Amino acid sequence: MNFKTKLLSLAFAGLMSASVVSAYAAEVTLVHDKAFWAEALQKVGDAETKATGVTMKQNAYSPPEQYKAYMQSSIAANDPPDIFTWWTGGVYEELIKTGAIAELDDVWAEMIKSGEFSEGVRDFYKVGDHVYGVPLHLSRWIVLYNKADYAKAGISEPKTWAEFVSNAEKLKAAGITPFVATTQDGWRGFIWFEEIMLRTNPEAYMGLHTGKVAYDSEPVRNAFKIWADWYAKGYFTDPRSTEEVADFAKNKGSMNLIGDWAIGLVEKAGMKPGADFDAFIMPNMDPALPSSTILEGGPIMVSKKGMAKPEVVNALKYFVSVDGANVWAAASGNALGNSKANPPNVIVKKINDEVAAMKTVSFPRWWEAVPADLQGEMVAELNRFMLTPTMETAESVMANTQKLNAAYWAEKQ
Amino acid sequence: MVPATRQINFAAIEAKERASTKKKWPSVIVAVLISLIWVVPFYYMAVSIFKTHAEYTANNPLSLPAGLSPIVDNAISAWNTAKMGAGFANSALYGLVGAGLAVFFAAMAAFGLTRISFKRQNFWFMLIFAGTIFPFQIYLIPLFFAYQKIGIINTHFGMLLFYTAVCIPFPVLVLRNYLNGLSREMDEAARMDGASEFCVFWSIILPNCIGPMTATFLLQFTWIWNDLLFSTVLGNREEVRSIMNSLQIFHGSYTTAGPNLSLTAALIASLPAIVLFLLLRRHFMEGMRVTGV
Amino acid sequence: MAKHPHRETDLQLMQRIGWHRVKAVEDRAMQRNFWKAFAFMSPAIVLVCGLLLMPVVYNIYFSFTKWKKFAGLDEFAGFSNYAKLPGNPYFDAAFYNTAVWVAASVVFPLAIGFGLAVFLRGVAFGNLFKNIIFLPRILAPTAVAVIWFHVYAPHGVLNSLLAMTTGRPVDIGWLYQDNTVTPAIIATFVWQSVGLVMVLVLLGLSAIPKDPLEAARVDGATNAQAFWHIVMPLLMPTLVVVTILSVLSGFTTFDLLWVMGVGYPGQRTLSLAVYMYFESFQKGSWAFGSAIAVIIGFVVFSVTWIQTVMQSRVDKMTR
Repeated sequence: MNFKTKLLSLAFAGLMSASVVSAYAAEVTLVHDKAFWAEALQKVGDAETKATGVTMKQNAYSPPEQYKAYMQSSIAANDPPDIFTWWTGGVYEELIKTGAIAELDDVWAEMIKSGEFSEGVRDFYKVGDHVYGVPLHLSRWIVLYNKADYAKAGISEPKTWAEFVSNAEKLKAAGITPFVATTQDGWRGFIWFEEIMLRTNPEAYMGLHTGKVAYDSEPVRNAFKIWADWYAKGYFTDPRSTEEVADFAKNKGSMNLIGDWAIGLVEKAGMKPGADFDAFIMPNMDPALPSSTILEGGPIMVSKKGMAKPEVVNALKYFVSVDGANVWAAASGNALGNSKANPPNVIVKKINDEVAAMKTVSFPRWWEAVPADLQGEMVAELNRFMLTPTMETAESVMANTQKLNAAYWAEKQ
Repeated sequence: MVPATRQINFAAIEAKERASTKKKWPSVIVAVLISLIWVVPFYYMAVSIFKTHAEYTANNPLSLPAGLSPIVDNAISAWNTAKMGAGFANSALYGLVGAGLAVFFAAMAAFGLTRISFKRQNFWFMLIFAGTIFPFQIYLIPLFFAYQKIGIINTHFGMLLFYTAVCIPFPVLVLRNYLNGLSREMDEAARMDGASEFCVFWSIILPNCIGPMTATFLLQFTWIWNDLLFSTVLGNREEVRSIMNSLQIFHGSYTTAGPNLSLTAALIASLPAIVLFLLLRRHFMEGMRVTGV
Repeated sequence: MAKHPHRETDLQLMQRIGWHRVKAVEDRAMQRNFWKAFAFMSPAIVLVCGLLLMPVVYNIYFSFTKWKKFAGLDEFAGFSNYAKLPGNPYFDAAFYNTAVWVAASVVFPLAIGFGLAVFLRGVAFGNLFKNIIFLPRILAPTAVAVIWFHVYAPHGVLNSLLAMTTGRPVDIGWLYQDNTVTPAIIATFVWQSVGLVMVLVLLGLSAIPKDPLEAARVDGATNAQAFWHIVMPLLMPTLVVVTILSVLSGFTTFDLLWVMGVGYPGQRTLSLAVYMYFESFQKGSWAFGSAIAVIIGFVVFSVTWIQTVMQSRVDKMTR
C-alpha cells in the first residue's frame, strides 16, 4: 500500500507540474521566430512595460519552419498565442482563413487618424475588406554597396540598367567580385531571381504568382540567361558560403542585394552605414517603367482570443506608436512605416527620401507571393541553379518548378 | 550469485593478444595510414579551436595555429552565442533525471516481471518492449500535437516526460534478462521473513542490479545527451533547449560565427560524454557488450 | 457422453477431488499477484503506453485524415495519402536514397569494422589504433556532423588535402552536389560507426575458445578453412546483431543528414526520415507526413521481424 501511495503521489506531482506550466500567463507575450531580433524586441517590450505598466515579453521559436509548425498546431488545437509575428502573402491569407485571427480595422483607423501611417501601408496588410496585421518591420529590398570599392573602380550609384551592368563589369575588371549571393539557410535562392524578373519584366513577375505566367516561359528564361551570364562572368561570390553578412562586410563581394533590415547586421559586422557602405534601388531595364522596389512587410497579428484582452491591444498600439517605433528602430535598425518616427539609420532615410521623390511603387517579395505550398521546393530549385549556374541547370530548374506550379494551379481549379 | 553478463577482462584479452602479436613493421605502417583517416578530423578540430576567425580563413585548414590564446575567446564566444550554459544545464537535467527515472522504473518493471508470477507475463513484457520497435519518426507528429494541446511543449517537464518514457523499454529488456539469471534464494528468504514486495525490491534486488543499471543508465544518458531530433521538435525554446539543439545556432541565420567557433562549441558539447566515457569506460563496454548498441 | 468414457472419467475424477476449488484459489492468488506486479510495472506501462504506443496509434490515424496546416484533422482521406507517395519525385528519391543508406550503412561498417578487427588483432600497438578508431563513437552525431561539415567545406580539409596531393586547387562542394552528397555523409556515418563494429567483433572473437581452432590446425586445416568453418559460425550471432543495428540506424539517421545536408538543395530527398520532417514540420502536410512515418515504421518493423527469424536460425545453427 505504501508503495501505491508513492506511485499516486508521483503521478500527482506530474499532473501538478503540467498544470502549473499551462496556467502561467498573466502578461503579454509576443511570440515570434526572429531569434536574431530577440534582444531588440525585448527592448521594445521593456520600454512598453515602463510606459504602460503591463509586462511585455517576447518568446522566440526558431527556425521559421518550426515556428510555422507551432502556429499550425496551436491553431488546429484552438489555442493560438495572443500576439505574434507572421509573414504576408500566401501564408498570411491561409492563416486568416482559419478564422482565428482578429481584424485590426479599428486599430488602423486610429493609426491613420494620428497622421503617422499612410493608407498605402494599411492596404499592404489588407485581405478582402479587413486589415489583419500591423507592421513589425517594413523593409525595401535595395542594393548595399561598398563605398571604397566604388571609389576604387571609379564608379558611382547607377541610375540606369546599363550603368548597373557596367558598374559590375568595371568592378570585376578591378579585381573585385561585384555581387554577394549565397544559398545560406536554404531560403535565399529567390533573391536575385526575383529582382532580375522585376527589373526585366514586372508584369511577368506578378503573373508567376497567380499561375498566369509559367516558370518555363520566355520572360523567365530571359531572366535566367542574364543571371547565368553574370555567373559565367564571375560576378557572384561563392554561393556555398555560410557567412553572407561577413562576405559583404569583409569585402568578398562589393554589392549585396538584400532587405534594408540587413543594414543593422552589416553595421554589427563592422561597417558604418553612410560612411563605409550605402545603398541604391536597382534600376529597371526599361527606363520607361516607374521606379519600383520589392517591399517586405513582416506583420504582427493578434488572435481573436488575444483581442479580447485589453493589455494585448495596448501592447500592439505601443509597438506602432512613435515611441515604440523609435525604440525598435534604435535596437534593430528596422522601420515600421510610422512617418513621425526617426528613420533607423541614414541609409533608410536616404532610400525613404528617394522613394518619396520618385513615387517608387512596391512589389511583393517572391517568398510571400508564391503559393505557400510551393515555396520550399521551388526555392530549393533556385538554390540548385546558384550552385551550378549554367543554362543547362536553368532549363531543368524551369522544367521542375513549372511542373510543381502547373500541378498546384491545376488542383486549385 | 551468477551474473548473467560476464565481466570482460580486457587486460587478459590484451595480454593474450600481445603474445600473438606479429612484430612486423609493414603492418604497423599500414595501421598508421589507416588510422590517419580517424586522426585527421580530430587533428583538424584540435588546431581550429586555437585559431581566430581571420586566422582560420586566411590559412590552410590543417595549418598549425599561430598561438594558443584564441581558444579562450572562442570558448567564451561560443558559450555565449549558443547560450551553452542553459543548454548544458538542460541536457544535464534531461540526461540525469530522465535516464535515472527510466532505469529505476525499468528495474521496478523487471522486478514485477520476473519475481512475481502472474498470468500473461509475456504480454505485459511485450507491451513495454514494443516501445523499442518503432522508428522515432512515428512519434513526432502526435507528440508535437499532444504536447501543444496540453501545454507542455517547450517545457522541461514535457522533455523529461518523453525522455523518461523512451528510455524505459530497453533497460527493461536488459534488467529482465539479468534478473532471470539472478538467484532467487535471497528474495525468497526475505519473503519468508515477511518482507513486503517493495522491501524485497528495494533492499535486495536493487543493490544487486547496480552493475547493469549503471551500464544501461550510461547508455540512456548518452542517448539523451546526444539527441537532436526530439529536442528540436519538442523543446525549441531557449530556456528548455538541449545542448545539441543549441549547436544549431551556428547553422542558423545571421550569425557571423566561423568554423572555429562552431567546432569549439561542438567540442564543448561533447566534453561531458567524453569525460563520462573515459571515467566509466568499463561500464560502457559492458553496456555495449550486453546490448550491442 | 457415453461415447467418451475416458474423458468423462477424468472429469469425474477431478470433480471428486475438488479440482475446481484448487483452481479458483490459484486464480485468486494469481489475480492478487497480478495487481502486485502491476504496481511495480505501472510507471513503465503508463509512460510507454502514453508517450510511445498511443502516439503510434494516433500517427496511423492522422495518416488517414486530410490534416494539412490548420485544418482537415476531422476529414477522412482513406488511403489517398499513401496513394500519393509512389510516383512523387521527392518520395521516390528519398526512398532510393534511404535504400542506398541502409545498404551502405550495413556493408561498409561491417566489412571495414570486421577487417580492422582481424587486422589490428595482430599488429603492434593494436590497442592504440583500436582506441583511435573507436574515438568518434564517443562524440555526439551532431558534433561529428559539425566537424565533417567543415571537413567537406569548399575551403575545407578534404579539398585542401586533395589540392596538396594533386598540386592543383580543388573546389568541390561535396555537400552541395547531387553525386557527392550521399556518399560523403555515408562516409561520415561509416567513420563514426566502424569503431563500434570493430569492438563488437573483437569481443566476439575473444569469446571464441582456442581449443577447436588448435584441434583444426592439428587436423591440417588452413587458416582460411579454420576461419570459415570455426570462427565465422561462432561469430555469427554478433554479426547478425551488428547488421540489424546498422540497418535500423541507417534507416532512422536524422542528425547527420540534418546538419550536414543543410546546404544541399535536395535535402528533403536525402532520406525518408528527413523527407517526413520537411513535409510535416516545414510544409504543414501533417497527414502526408504521418503516412511517410508509417511507411518508415512498416519497413523498420519488417526488418525487426527478419532479425527475429534470423536470430532464431542462428541460435539453432550454433547450438
